[in-house]
Amino acid sequence: MIWFAALAIFAGVLVSLSRQINGRLALSTSAMESSFWNHIVGLAFITVIALLVGGLFAGEPASAPWWAYLGGPVGVIFIAAGSWLIARIGAAQTALLIIAGQMISGVVLDIIMGAPGELWARAIGVGLILAGMWVAQGGKRG
Amino acid sequence: MSQSSRTIQLGYFAAAFGAGGLLSLMVLFNGTLAAYGSLFFASWVPHLTGTFAALLFLVILRPKRAQIARPPLWVYLGGVSGAITVMLTSATLNSALALSGTIALGLAGQMVFSLFADMRGLFGLPQRTPVPRDYIALGLIVAGSLILIFFGSGS
Repeated sequence: MIWFAALAIFAGVLVSLSRQINGRLALSTSAMESSFWNHIVGLAFITVIALLVGGLFAGEPASAPWWAYLGGPVGVIFIAAGSWLIARIGAAQTALLIIAGQMISGVVLDIIMGAPGELWARAIGVGLILAGMWVAQGGKRG
Repeated sequence: MSQSSRTIQLGYFAAAFGAGGLLSLMVLFNGTLAAYGSLFFASWVPHLTGTFAALLFLVILRPKRAQIARPPLWVYLGGVSGAITVMLTSATLNSALALSGTIALGLAGQMVFSLFADMRGLFGLPQRTPVPRDYIALGLIVAGSLILIFFGSGS
């Protein structure tokens, strides 16, 4: 259990690390070029690992709904945005506001898709996040 | 802070918040793919289609290169770090941590390392020292996120 907890924390560290490295590449090139390299290098890496481990095409991927295949282009814009923002507002602000956007849009998606959830928790959670964003944008920053 | 730099700052914040919305869509799309195919497949497909989409964007937008000098080679390895993330989380998802524990601990790791990176100016990015206001904002957003992760969703 403690091992898995450490892995989960490390996964979060890697998210930030990846954004910093891509952000550094964007400083030399452009946000979109950084996103391109992120995807093609990641693709090569996953292909090698998948060939070693096997089972890439296991299951019934052909029966997935067509829209499930749209994650790639969305991810390109997401990675480009992160690479562009991190040099401008810093790693912590970028991560914090992306998390805020993910959480609140997640609640909206849950409501649209009729996922069960406690109303009080959604209200308090969204309220705290909005308050945090209001605090974040309120003051001077060097 | 002048009015115009404040407007720019708000623009950055809005862009980051919007990017978080894109991330929700990615999780939904890629997660649905993983429900039908393997976890490798659910990461491999978006990287493949993303590579072509990025190429298309580059051809259409033709963004200018910021510097003529070649950056060091390690800056091209961000994608490896991102791909390992997917593999780690697929391992922890199936442990006792489940989805909520994986997201909550990942959020903690991401925030602590981001703060550390800002303070040190790691990887050639601008160094910045967080002010008390930043920590208050961090506390509120993390608290709200944890409530949503553990109580706000059926998952």
